[in-house]
Amino acid sequence: MTFWKAAAVIMRKDLTVEGRSGEVLWITIPFGLIALFLIPLALPLDNPLLQRIAGPMYWVILLLFGMTIALRQSATGTTPQREALRMLGVDAAARFTGRVLATTLLSLAFALVLAPATVVLFDANLPSGWPLLIPIVMAVTLGLGIVGTVAAELTRGLRTRTALAPLLVAPLAAPLLVAAAQATESLSRGDSILLPALIIAFTVLGLAVIGVLTAGPLEETQ
Amino acid sequence: MGAGKHETYTLTVSIPLLLTLVDAGVRLGSTTVLRNLSLELAQGEVLGIEGPNGAGKSTLLRVCATLLPLDIGSGTVFDADLGSPGAQSVRPEIGLLAHQPALYDELTLRENLSFYARLLGCRQGRVDELLEGVGLSAAADRRADQTSQGMLRRVDLARLLLMEPRLLLLDEPHAGLDSAAEKLIAAVVADVIAREGAAIIVAHDTSRLADVTTRRLRLERGGLT
Amino acid sequence: MKTRYVLSLLALAALGYGFYLSGQHPPDAVQGEYVRIINVHVPASWVAFAAFGGTLLGSLGWLATRRRRFDAFAAASAEVGVFFTALSLLSGMIWGQVTWGIAWDWGDARMASTALMFFIYLGYMGLRRGMPDETERAKRSAVIGVLGFLTVPLSYFSVNLFRSLHQTQSVRPDGWQIESGEIVTSMLINVAAYTLVYLVFVTWRTSQGMVPDHPELGSDLAGDAVVAPSLGGRDE
Repeated sequence: MTFWKAAAVIMRKDLTVEGRSGEVLWITIPFGLIALFLIPLALPLDNPLLQRIAGPMYWVILLLFGMTIALRQSATGTTPQREALRMLGVDAAARFTGRVLATTLLSLAFALVLAPATVVLFDANLPSGWPLLIPIVMAVTLGLGIVGTVAAELTRGLRTRTALAPLLVAPLAAPLLVAAAQATESLSRGDSILLPALIIAFTVLGLAVIGVLTAGPLEETQ
Repeated sequence: MGAGKHETYTLTVSIPLLLTLVDAGVRLGSTTVLRNLSLELAQGEVLGIEGPNGAGKSTLLRVCATLLPLDIGSGTVFDADLGSPGAQSVRPEIGLLAHQPALYDELTLRENLSFYARLLGCRQGRVDELLEGVGLSAAADRRADQTSQGMLRRVDLARLLLMEPRLLLLDEPHAGLDSAAEKLIAAVVADVIAREGAAIIVAHDTSRLADVTTRRLRLERGGLT
Repeated sequence: MKTRYVLSLLALAALGYGFYLSGQHPPDAVQGEYVRIINVHVPASWVAFAAFGGTLLGSLGWLATRRRRFDAFAAASAEVGVFFTALSLLSGMIWGQVTWGIAWDWGDARMASTALMFFIYLGYMGLRRGMPDETERAKRSAVIGVLGFLTVPLSYFSVNLFRSLHQTQSVRPDGWQIESGEIVTSMLINVAAYTLVYLVFVTWRTSQGMVPDHPELGSDLAGDAVVAPSLGGRDE
């Protein structure tokens, strides 16, 4: 079985499991929407302020609540399940990639629901050229998927997992957050988004390389 | 040759050893689980290992499956050194049945087997054949979290048959199985032996396995007797 | 042991001398007496980032060799580094407050990336706690040690980019230069002193970390903790 075929099988399994459990659809997405809703409630009535912070708030909510998608229960896997996959001889990097792809697709769904909600709740004006943000969203969700999957693996079996995993993810995802917010800001000013896009691409590439290279050592004890 | 003289010939048949452990020891955290453990498993053997709770039976199986490294001593499985990363290459030859089934709650029994079949490159028809073989065709579309432990154990055994392993490691295989299904264990073991394999079956009480095992040992205080 | 003793004395002497020089050099033309904080902030920042690099090297070393000394060094470097990172942030905030009236300058990419590094350190140390298995602990910390190091320069670049493209008011005047050679000398002596302190603590903690958590296989067998139950009267 080739690397990508194995990754695709695992991705498909993860998506099916998540589709049946509904944790992302019924819990994570509403949770993110509530957070988005609470921000304007906590601010004084000031539409220009809301419009100004719409973009950054979108990325912050996507990061903070999107990381819970990687940490979802259905992605964790029990010890027998993990051992069965190891015994099959499926490459650890392929398993990692499959999990990342599933998490990325789910995060993308979250991002796509969050976007119109942000526009409506913050009365935001979409910048012209906003379709350029679509690949930015895709890259950011991929980066979040990688970081979240690594953090989930690092905190596997720990009682402090619930708090520790986000503590690990947040600073690691910071370059993505800043660059994505910068891209949004640049687009609204009519400036080029090339530099922030390059930072995002470089970050995602670095995370992917490290994630894939450490997938095997994290699984095995020798 | 003179009349009345008899020549005696000794025929030595070398039976391949699929698994060896020499003075093996394993520590988990601050606790020693296995120590000074030596074992040989030859092709065609079905070894029953019994012992009390906490004796290290499950740990021993995981060491044999190359999932857990030895802290002391040495061992080989299919001639691969257990202490080397290369031991991972023989994993597809080993079928491990753990305490808990390696199945996904949200998937149906058929989907669970199909998942493993896809990873193994098996044809999907084989999945239906195996479900039929373990007596679960009618329940194939039931979710795993809506079935009994015994049914899950049957599906887990079917998963092992998908792999066609040559070394079978069974941890308490009878747990949850009714008497009709217990013959499944014998069938699975026989399948492996027919392919020139061997098996280790771990249980609290291996007397139920008298018909299946060729040798029985007791694991107590980290060592085998 | 002797080396560590000599190193400790050297560090102490260097710290003392650095402290003395901090009080001796003239005030800055722009910042006045507040410039003396530079003798804490810059050395602490230097050690914070060097320690982060030490954790990276130790993590890579462990992943390549699986030798305990690398994990012990990585962890020791992180422990010492988290202290100096906190010191760097604190001194930076005090410096900003007394000099320019604001404790936290969001236009300063260095402060932002230092703060991120601090949180990564905390995550690193949080990960090590509550993991009794030495190999698992070393393995997982090594991964975060490498991953964390990647994101700090990336964060610096992205924040710097944000700042430069926006030209938002940075409270620190651009292009502020240290005019006095004596201030530079004092700062560099303190950098050397703090580096020696780092080396002393890291070598000490590394040697402590070299002691295995658990000795060789002992007599405390897992199975000994389980005896036949007294209820029911049945034998095992």
